[in-house]
Amino acid sequence: MKNEFRQHWFAFRRTLAGMLRQPLTSLLNLLVIAIAAAFPLALWLVVTSLADVAGHLPVEPQITVFLRSSATPGEIQALRALEGSDTRIAKHRFVPKDEALKEMQQSSGFGDLLAGLPDNPLPDAIIFTAKENHAAGLEALQKELAAKPGVEEVQLDSAWARRLERLVALGRAVFQAVVALLATALVLITGNTIRMQILTRQEEIEVSKLIGATDAFIRRPFIHFAAAQGLLGGALASAIVWLALRWLNPAVRDLATAYGQQFELQSPGLQSLGVVCTATTLLCLVGAWLAVWRHLRRHL
Amino acid sequence: MIQFQQVSKRYRGGFDALKNLSFEIPTGELVFLAGHSGAGKSTILKLVAGIERPTGGAVLVNGQNVGSMRRGSIPFVRRHIGLIFQDHKILFDRSVYDNVRLPLDIIGFESHEARRRVLAALDKVGLAGKEKLNPIALSGGEQQRLCIARAVVHRPAILLADEPTANLDRDYAHDILELFKSFHQVGVTLVISAHDETLMADYGRRILRLKNGQFTA
Ligand SMILES: Nc1ncnc2c1ncn2[C@@H]1O[C@H](COP(=O)(O)OP(=O)(O)OP(=O)(O)O)[C@@H](O)[C@H]1O
Ligand SMILES: [Mg+2]
Repeated sequence: MKNEFRQHWFAFRRTLAGMLRQPLTSLLNLLVIAIAAAFPLALWLVVTSLADVAGHLPVEPQITVFLRSSATPGEIQALRALEGSDTRIAKHRFVPKDEALKEMQQSSGFGDLLAGLPDNPLPDAIIFTAKENHAAGLEALQKELAAKPGVEEVQLDSAWARRLERLVALGRAVFQAVVALLATALVLITGNTIRMQILTRQEEIEVSKLIGATDAFIRRPFIHFAAAQGLLGGALASAIVWLALRWLNPAVRDLATAYGQQFELQSPGLQSLGVVCTATTLLCLVGAWLAVWRHLRRHL
Repeated sequence: MIQFQQVSKRYRGGFDALKNLSFEIPTGELVFLAGHSGAGKSTILKLVAGIERPTGGAVLVNGQNVGSMRRGSIPFVRRHIGLIFQDHKILFDRSVYDNVRLPLDIIGFESHEARRRVLAALDKVGLAGKEKLNPIALSGGEQQRLCIARAVVHRPAILLADEPTANLDRDYAHDILELFKSFHQVGVTLVISAHDETLMADYGRRILRLKNGQFTA
């Protein structure tokens, strides 16, 4: 047991010495790993932040039906009666054009401009709240309503929330693809780094094997090196993303405020630091293991 | 004890380096291996250390068949053997000290004990005080001594020396052989190869004479 520990200590010292012997190369390797890991981490943070916003938007979709100015009271009544007859509709609210104008004058800041108009340009409207929550079903309902007599235009108010949801779903898919790609890249990059190291130490490896070194002994310094690079690379990736978000977030917050939303991108926490470091370490280990395995297999 | 039972070695490419060889070297014996260039001396030593595998027969080292052993077990056999390579295999990227220390690091010696042993081995071969040098700064004979120090530093029971006196003048070669004799005196089994038989004659030891992969009378 003590012996085992000592062996690791030897290997670790050799690893450290090797890293310090080529500080620039080690640093560049580290940066490559960090950037490869920073990209999916950033993407993940953006996606989860957006998913958070999407989750806070009204889930009950609203459909606004704008009526023609020529709509008869009978037609309006028929539309309002849908609340009882159509099972897809939960409730409705009739907004006469005068009320709509008042609301607009109060909320938009265009009050003076609107007051200056000779007559009210707004149509009467009915706002339906649908029970239906599927995009396809809602679009069908929208079409049906648009075809009814007296209807000028129908708007799905939740459309942009839905779009955001789809965007998040797309983001997740992109994230998965990016993770798969960059994980492979990380394995290959480390594999190649270790392969180069093996080449520069080929003589030492050969002699060591000839005088009784096990595969584990040969592997050890490379495994240590890869683990150290993975761990440091992961930490560096988190630091890069953290800094980038600190720099980006004020702008994002301003943008969100302009849309009347409170929103900012989540910074990487301790948990994501742990996940990223574990992932990069494991991937680098896999790369190193494969490189050493290939070498040992080829050379006796 | 080293035992060859009807051992053949055919290298890839079809060359028969050893043909049906049988012999035995009891524990503690000092044996010379003689023969022309290409006779198969190095091949015999490589088979003992499990560096090459026989294509026929059995190579037994202390009763274990090295020839058919699992790849993973061979390092542990080698740790009981000291190897002096014909092409030296000195590492020029590190000091004399670190070269000699390598076998101890592989076995996992504690640092203090390792240092003591390395210095003792260097002292034994006459390189005391040169431990900090790069091996490139050593003469040919001194490099040979470095190889010997690295081979004996972990105190192996068997020492295999492949042409340790090549390229050395006669007096120097005798010094080296005297060194080997001192290992023999403490019970180490030794196999020493050389193509110059006149050197061996002075020692009155058994000589295995090889010719084209077979023993001659
Ligand atoms: N790896 C190899 N592949 C193919 N042939 C080999 C290999 N190693 C040795 N041989 C051949 O086997 C024969 C015996 O080689 P070996 O190295 O055992 O000779 P040796 O007696 O040590 O010669 P020397 O005194 O020149 O070192 C030689 O003819 C050599 O060409
Ligand atoms: Mg030879």
